[in-house]
Amino acid sequence: MEIVVLLKQVADTEARVAPTADGLGVSTGDAKKIINPYDEFAVEEALRIKQQLGGSVTILSAGDDKAAEAIRTALAMGADKGVLVNDPAVMASDGLGRAKILAAALKTMAFDLVLAGLRAVDDDSHLVGPAVAELLGIPHVGGVLEVTVENGSVFCLRAADSGQARVKAMLPALLSAQKGLNTPRYASMIGIMQAKKKPLQTLSLADIGISPDSVGPNAAKTITKAFMPLPQRAAGRMIEGGTAQEKAANLAKALKNEAKVI
Amino acid sequence: MAQLISDRRDVDFVLFEQMEAQELAKTKQYAQFNKKTIEMIINEARNLAIKEILPTNKPGDEKGCRLENGKVIVPEEFHRAYKLYCEGEWLAMAEDVEVGGQGFPIIVTQAASEYFVGANCAFMMYPGLTHGAAHLVEVYGTEKQKELYLEKMYSGKWGGTMLLTEPDAGSDVGNLTTTAYPNGDGTYTIKGQKIFISAGDHDLVENIVHPVLARIDGAPAGTKGISLFAVPKIWVNDDGSLGEDNDVVIDRLEEKMGIHGNATCVMILGGKGKCKGTLLGEPNKGMRAMFQMMNEARLGVGIQGFSFGTAAYMYALDYARQRVQGRSLLEFMNPDAPAVTINNHPDVRRMLTWMKAMVDGMRSFIYYTGICFDIVRSSNDEAEKEKAQGLIEVLIPILKAYCTDKSFEVCVQAMQTYGGYGYTKEYPIEQLLRDCKITGIYEGTNGIQSMDLLGRKLGMKGGKPFMDLVGEMSKTVAQAKGIAGLETLAGQVEEAVGKLGEIAMLMGKTAMSEKVLTAFTYSYNFLDVCGDTVMAWMHLWRACVAKPKLDALTGGDPALITSKKDAAFYDGLVKTAQYFGSAILPVTLGKMAAIKNMSSAAVDMLDEGYAGK
Ligand SMILES: Cc1cc2nc3c(=O)[nH]c(=O)nc-3n(C[C@H](O)[C@H](O)[C@H](O)COP(=O)(O)OP(=O)(O)OC[C@H]3O[C@@H](n4cnc5c(N)ncnc54)[C@H](O)[C@@H]3O)c2cc1C
Ligand SMILES: Cc1cc2nc3c(=O)[nH]c(=O)nc-3n(C[C@H](O)[C@H](O)[C@H](O)COP(=O)(O)OP(=O)(O)OC[C@H]3O[C@@H](n4cnc5c(N)ncnc54)[C@H](O)[C@@H]3O)c2cc1C
Repeated sequence: MEIVVLLKQVADTEARVAPTADGLGVSTGDAKKIINPYDEFAVEEALRIKQQLGGSVTILSAGDDKAAEAIRTALAMGADKGVLVNDPAVMASDGLGRAKILAAALKTMAFDLVLAGLRAVDDDSHLVGPAVAELLGIPHVGGVLEVTVENGSVFCLRAADSGQARVKAMLPALLSAQKGLNTPRYASMIGIMQAKKKPLQTLSLADIGISPDSVGPNAAKTITKAFMPLPQRAAGRMIEGGTAQEKAANLAKALKNEAKVI
Repeated sequence: MAQLISDRRDVDFVLFEQMEAQELAKTKQYAQFNKKTIEMIINEARNLAIKEILPTNKPGDEKGCRLENGKVIVPEEFHRAYKLYCEGEWLAMAEDVEVGGQGFPIIVTQAASEYFVGANCAFMMYPGLTHGAAHLVEVYGTEKQKELYLEKMYSGKWGGTMLLTEPDAGSDVGNLTTTAYPNGDGTYTIKGQKIFISAGDHDLVENIVHPVLARIDGAPAGTKGISLFAVPKIWVNDDGSLGEDNDVVIDRLEEKMGIHGNATCVMILGGKGKCKGTLLGEPNKGMRAMFQMMNEARLGVGIQGFSFGTAAYMYALDYARQRVQGRSLLEFMNPDAPAVTINNHPDVRRMLTWMKAMVDGMRSFIYYTGICFDIVRSSNDEAEKEKAQGLIEVLIPILKAYCTDKSFEVCVQAMQTYGGYGYTKEYPIEQLLRDCKITGIYEGTNGIQSMDLLGRKLGMKGGKPFMDLVGEMSKTVAQAKGIAGLETLAGQVEEAVGKLGEIAMLMGKTAMSEKVLTAFTYSYNFLDVCGDTVMAWMHLWRACVAKPKLDALTGGDPALITSKKDAAFYDGLVKTAQYFGSAILPVTLGKMAAIKNMSSAAVDMLDEGYAGK
């Protein structure tokens, strides 16, 4: 079973972020970088499937030099090798651009199953997983909560509009992991020591046969107009009244006449 | 909040820029530990500490430990955290690979500990004590003892403790009465009572190996007659299987001010005459074994204390950045001026700056001591090793007492920064403050540390280690004098180092004169000014690293400080160092002047003079 996990490095979710001065980007300050939490579910699931069925787990990321750290962390969790597509155009690409890059890289690799996170907590575009599947012409199951691989197929439980659905897909397939799929392990000390010796290959766009102008800012389908800080929360209001009944009556009045919600 | 427990940027600064821990990879011992590996370790330690251990801190405090049917039950939250900590193999991270460790440099384990202990000290005492006990087995155990205990302990499957204290043997361990009677088959029957035993029993592990200090029946009185024994909670058969209950009874748990998550036990050994142990090391050499482990144990408690300080500072800073109260002092006549966050108020800045100066300085101090341990472990140069060992001997009592006491003061200032809220249980400071206090008391009270410094360490080897310390400080002073903008600070530190040398001479001389008692009424004060001066040295050293980097980033243009990455950090670091030199060191000089007076009032006063009986 050859499993590839698509992994993105994002700013620590604890980080304080703010729009940059020009409003076109987001500054994360000196924030530490982490593995996108949804991708951690994907890594964990891949490791579990490997434990059960054998094979290998490869971590694939498109990013900058720093992204190698995130790959190493996944290797420390137990993955076998890493591939980093590192090119200036990567960071300037939108979700679709990144999907093109990842799909092109996957075409140079052997895989039976691709796992991704449902969303990346920074851009939150929810599209890289399905777009990669589309570009590769393989099935995609989104938001998986349970995964079983059997006889060339994968059986998934996934969230559906008003409940859950069981879905079967033929391999090779791409699954995107939803929160609840599993509890990711922590890298152990031994894992960290071993991770150093595991192979991490760096590829350029040329290596995967992508021309720089087919991705990057000029090819982007999404254009960011401006990032804005969250509006300040206004002060709360105390409902007046001498007794509980009076307060309740005043609250009901306010909800009806002012807030107009009842 | 942006940062919990510790400022990661400063941790990285001290590790890689000041102490250059990555250089250790040039030695054979540490060849595997390059910068990337160290960074990953700290990332993972921080991750585990913040996500899994920190959430257990408050419940641990509120629930505490219970004694039920003779067994200690820890707060249930501790179980998952303990499992993850052991699975991650953190317990023996510094130990040699041959005994199941990872062989990490001590300085790296310190950075990891800062996060772990800062997340929950009471919890971390369980694996921490296990580590210490296992280390005793590793160093003094027979092959059989190692085979039976070591892997189980270093993996965290079994626990470990340290049974020294008795009702009449606290600071004076030599006074203990627990007795060991030889059984003729290599085992001893142990009888006695031990009190204040941390982690004396708990349900995180299936068995516990208690190292116990006891006197073999008929051995000489005092420290010369003390031996060390390994006493398992459940007897371990020769094939490693668990045998009978070993008559180690938990009599009760102490009710205490803090670290409620850690069981402090009164223990009866051999109440039914059925408690057995085996010698760890040679007969009557128990105290020697203890002394050899003492440096590491005291370093560990120093880090405990410090972890409370750094955690409290980070909380207080975060709170001060968010709490809106009062108008800017510049607008105090204007009733329409908006209220501002309290970190804008000069008096709050006073507290924040003082806390930062303490926390950053202590981090450098502790990591420096860690590097000394690493030199001893990894260097091929005997002279270098000997010098590092001498520095350790002098620094350890200072580190233990200074860092634990100053961290407690940091907790006090952090509470003050919170105002009334800090005093309530809704915010984390009151717990940190309560928990921190014990670090100044156990593992040799801070008073005992100061006596160790004055009585043993100052004059050790003809005073060479102390002079080496002064010599290291002077080197940094000389270097700083060549760095533009640090001249004033270099001069301030130079003066303090010079005066410290004089005070040390005076203390040493007085301690050997008929005024010995007077000298020892100042032993703590002496330790305190030693600590201040080490801190001043650390700040100067930090500034020596940061100032050229700051200048390179900004070219001296203050406007660039906010726009260049890292510039604000370096600028803050240099300013903190300057604050230490200008606002704290003059007080230190005053404290030195007070010592110099050598007032004998405290010795001369009659007991009745203190207050009527
Ligand atoms: C929560 C907690 C956990 C502990 N855990 C352990 C443990 O796991 N294992 C263990 O063995 N012990 C443990 N201890 C015991 C601890 O190490 C002792 O409390 C400590 O050594 C002090 O001894 P004492 O309490 O008997 O105080 P005392 O020795 O009575 O000291 C009282 C005061 O007198 C001073 N003093 C005493 N003798 C001298 C002297 N000769 N010169 C100058 N000043 C002196 C001390 O500095 C102190 O200020 C623990 C204690 C506590 C409270
Ligand atoms: C146990 C307890 C009992 C109490 N009892 C009473 C009571 O009986 N009646 C009553 O009315 N109140 C009472 N209080 C409230 C108490 O007086 C307030 O907590 C105290 O005045 C501080 O206010 P605060 O907690 O809002 O802190 P804040 O005002 O938020 O202060 C936080 C920090 O900022 C500093 N700070 C704030 N403004 C400035 C400024 N302009 N310049 C410089 N520094 C500033 C403060 O010194 C403090 O260090 C009690 C509080 C407690 C905890």
